[in-house]
Amino acid sequence: MLRAAGLMKSYRAPSGTAIRVLAGVDLTVKGGEIVVVTGPSGSGKSTLLNVLGLLEDGDRGDIWFEDARVSALGRAAKSHARGRYVGFLFQSFLLLPSLTALENVLLAARYVRRSGAAIRRRAMELMQEVGVADRMDHFPAQLSGGEQQRVAFCRAVLNDPPLLLADEPTGNLDDANGAVILDALRGRARAGAAVVVVSHRPEAAVGASAVYRLRGGVLETS
Amino acid sequence: MLRGYLFTVLGIAIGVAGLVALGAMSERIVRFIDGGDRFVLGQISVAGRGMGMGTGFTAGGLLPAATIRAISEVPGVQGVQAQIMLPLDPSTSQFMTLTQELILGMDLSVPMPNRHYRSLPVRSGRFLQEGDRRVAVVGASFATSRGLSVGSHIKLEDEDYEVVGVLDRMLTAPDRFVMVSIADARAQWVAKDRLLRTVLASGGMALTASDLNTGAAVGWRDGDDPDAVALRIRERVPGVNVQLPSELSRLLRSSTAFFSALLAGIGALAFVIGGLSLANTMAAAVFERIRDFGVKRALGATDLQLGREVLAESLAVTLVGGLAGIGLARVLGWFIDRYLAQAQQLFHFSPRLLAGALVFSILLGAAAAAYATARVVSLSPAEAIRRGA
Repeated sequence: MLRAAGLMKSYRAPSGTAIRVLAGVDLTVKGGEIVVVTGPSGSGKSTLLNVLGLLEDGDRGDIWFEDARVSALGRAAKSHARGRYVGFLFQSFLLLPSLTALENVLLAARYVRRSGAAIRRRAMELMQEVGVADRMDHFPAQLSGGEQQRVAFCRAVLNDPPLLLADEPTGNLDDANGAVILDALRGRARAGAAVVVVSHRPEAAVGASAVYRLRGGVLETS
Repeated sequence: MLRGYLFTVLGIAIGVAGLVALGAMSERIVRFIDGGDRFVLGQISVAGRGMGMGTGFTAGGLLPAATIRAISEVPGVQGVQAQIMLPLDPSTSQFMTLTQELILGMDLSVPMPNRHYRSLPVRSGRFLQEGDRRVAVVGASFATSRGLSVGSHIKLEDEDYEVVGVLDRMLTAPDRFVMVSIADARAQWVAKDRLLRTVLASGGMALTASDLNTGAAVGWRDGDDPDAVALRIRERVPGVNVQLPSELSRLLRSSTAFFSALLAGIGALAFVIGGLSLANTMAAAVFERIRDFGVKRALGATDLQLGREVLAESLAVTLVGGLAGIGLARVLGWFIDRYLAQAQQLFHFSPRLLAGALVFSILLGAAAAAYATARVVSLSPAEAIRRGA
């Protein structure tokens, strides 16, 4: 489902020197697999996930979603590709504060032009599955961290994306809520999605198809 | 759609309220000047020459009945209405101020010669009729300041007058007038002016009641040039001050040049203050949501979709904020007019001002939002999320 070859990315520090974060990352994740990427803070895990999900451009290298070389697409086509192929889960949930929980979930359908009763029913089913159906009319500020992440999970999977990218999805959660989210991600993998998780937590590696450590800008088998 | 935009709407409302309130003051001055101009261009104004006794507002000499008859015989003249204009309160603190309240006595046996004011618009009751005595028609501001309505009574020089009519608000001088028959005005003049009383009592001058006029409004025949008729009066009738309508208009315009400059300044200030406040609020609202835009782009939103979304939201926000601002300005204007300006109208919320302010707000809001959106979408989704965190 996801293939990356020779990904490179540098940032320019305020002093002007270039800091190489990715120095030729190769990665392949098939549907049904969970790949876990670990590494110390600042090692470039989030950057890798952003580049893989087309949230920012790499300096060099290629990315394929299925057979499509998406790294070569223009801005609008990349947006379409994100909407069609990728579901994101972030450490800080990133729910829109002005929308209710249900509206946040349905937001994922808006930009892929899906609407109507069926998608609303699907959103409510997902919220039921992760135990936040009774909070659908609440705003993010009225939800606990665990509830917010479960809502964010529903948003990430509403369009049944074949690729799920999770950046420290349990980083702000207690153990119980973290376990719920990790179980939900494993469930998506069992349903056929390719899942990439960046995490510090050892339990994230449980059931993973592969665990890599990002060191010196390249992935090493852990 | 507008959820989460409460403070933006409030910010825009305050900006628009400032713009509309300042604009309304400007409009008020424009209407005052235009109203005066329209009035002086509709008639030839004649007063007696000199600085005679009891000459009231016009500061000219008496205009005796014989002179009025002579004016009416000048070729081109059609209708001469004798008038008396007196300050209601002749104390120096009010005399000749823009807000002065005046008594206007009119000879109702002659139709109003002013081409632009054949009659004055009456809001309630009726206008004066020939033969009326001890009745008055009052201007809108005068009525409001004293709580007068049709059937009310007022005291003028200790005489009781019944209010039979209240004029529509005209936003010019008659708003502060009390209009009575010329006979009643003559009686008030004599009562007010000790010198005049002394002269009349001495019999030193051969004056009758009909000689007590401070001026006259003169009309002209269709097809005649008013300035030419005025010059003809000046040539043929001795002892009068004749104002050429065009000259008076020029005089009025030059004497109100200060106000014109002031209102241009007010208008510019309104645009700058209101516009900056609005544009800044709208742009800040968009920049504040930079993380939301990053998330939306992560969910698949294209630049075009985001642009359309922001534009629709900014239009809705500025429309609601603009309407709220107009409402706020109107409430503010009403409060100031009612409680602080002694019922004088300082604000004029004309339809063109309100429509202009709304369109200006919407366009500026949309432009500010478009600018901010262009800045935001130039960032990668990851950068937008990072900056908004």
